Amino acid sequence: MTDTAKEVTHGQVSARTLALSCVGAVVLAALALVLFILPAEYGKDPTGVGKALGLTRLASTAPVAREVFDPEKPGNRQDNVEIVVPAGKGLEYKLHVKKGDHFEYSWSSDSTALYFDFHGEPDGDTSGYFESYAEGTANGLAGSLNAPFDGNHGWYWENRSDQPATVKLLTFGTYSVVGKL
Amino acid sequence: MVLACAVTAVAQAHGVDTATKDFLVSNEGLAIGPFLYIGAKHMVTGYDHLLFLLAVIFFLYRLKDVVVYVSFFTLGHSITLLSGVLAHISVNPYLIDAIIGLSVVYKGFDNLGGFKRVLGFQPNTKAAVLIFGLFHGFGLATKLQEFQLPKDGLLGNLIAFNVGVELGQVFALIFVLIAIVIWRRYQSFLRFSTVTNTFIMAAGLMLMGYQLTGYFTA
Repeated sequence: MTDTAKEVTHGQVSARTLALSCVGAVVLAALALVLFILPAEYGKDPTGVGKALGLTRLASTAPVAREVFDPEKPGNRQDNVEIVVPAGKGLEYKLHVKKGDHFEYSWSSDSTALYFDFHGEPDGDTSGYFESYAEGTANGLAGSLNAPFDGNHGWYWENRSDQPATVKLLTFGTYSVVGKL
Repeated sequence: MVLACAVTAVAQAHGVDTATKDFLVSNEGLAIGPFLYIGAKHMVTGYDHLLFLLAVIFFLYRLKDVVVYVSFFTLGHSITLLSGVLAHISVNPYLIDAIIGLSVVYKGFDNLGGFKRVLGFQPNTKAAVLIFGLFHGFGLATKLQEFQLPKDGLLGNLIAFNVGVELGQVFALIFVLIAIVIWRRYQSFLRFSTVTNTFIMAAGLMLMGYQLTGYFTA
């Protein structure tokens, strides 16, 4: 007999149990979010527990560049610079790279996440054209570039917070340094 | 010319792993096998989708009912997965994943008879599963849309991805069903069903909190 009244597709608990259950779920989720998930994923740590547990390191570790610097490679150089991006300002840091040459990079911000645009401008161009390779907002990034054309390739960082940020930039490969613009 | 290795700097809702990313960035043309596998893997590792399915089948004792409800879910997510990618429907992945988290909370609450208790009536469960399925599908679509897949072979790849999702779903469901059927033989199933659905709601709330934080900060 198919009596739909007897068809079980739900449970039914008392009002009190339901209320306790909902409160319990909210409390559990709030604890997990505030103590563990937000610190680990976003570096947001209102209680300080995340930092004590070391979870905030998960959110602030800059990614590691994948290749290893090889000083034997012709034209290769390695540079380590610190660039201060003042609060509320943006600036550029560029390398001059020839078409087909390759470099690896890894940068990280000591404090706030920065808006960045990793891009290149061709030599001799007056139109203001640039090619954007990667763009976003982050505490750091690692990657590499095979320059698609001769030109200045590098980063625009914008610090949208009210504290200055120091960017540590490691680059290695085949290029010459243009510097801050 | 090779672009920078690290493609997306913005934190992901729950995305695809690096090897899959590398493949999707570089692939051109039809690649049925890989897309099938990626779809299956995405579903098997998609804890938000699986949590919702768990909550849906929790009190479904008859296999027929399991098949019906899972089919509604499948229908919903397939519609939006395919149309979302093909029609370039753009939705914020954080919001969509937050709604997926909401679907988990919804069904956990529903399993406790919450709506009957609070609203006085039982919202049509099949409709809810179908509608939430639509949102799950948008969630699946956003994961692919990030990669701006080339038009060449897109339809075939997409269908392969969708089939993969279903295969992954069946695979995961088999394990969940076996576990739950065994558990139902014991008294502890009903005794702990309240606690279990409380945890399901908590998990859904954690998902929502995680995704909404991403939405507001990234």
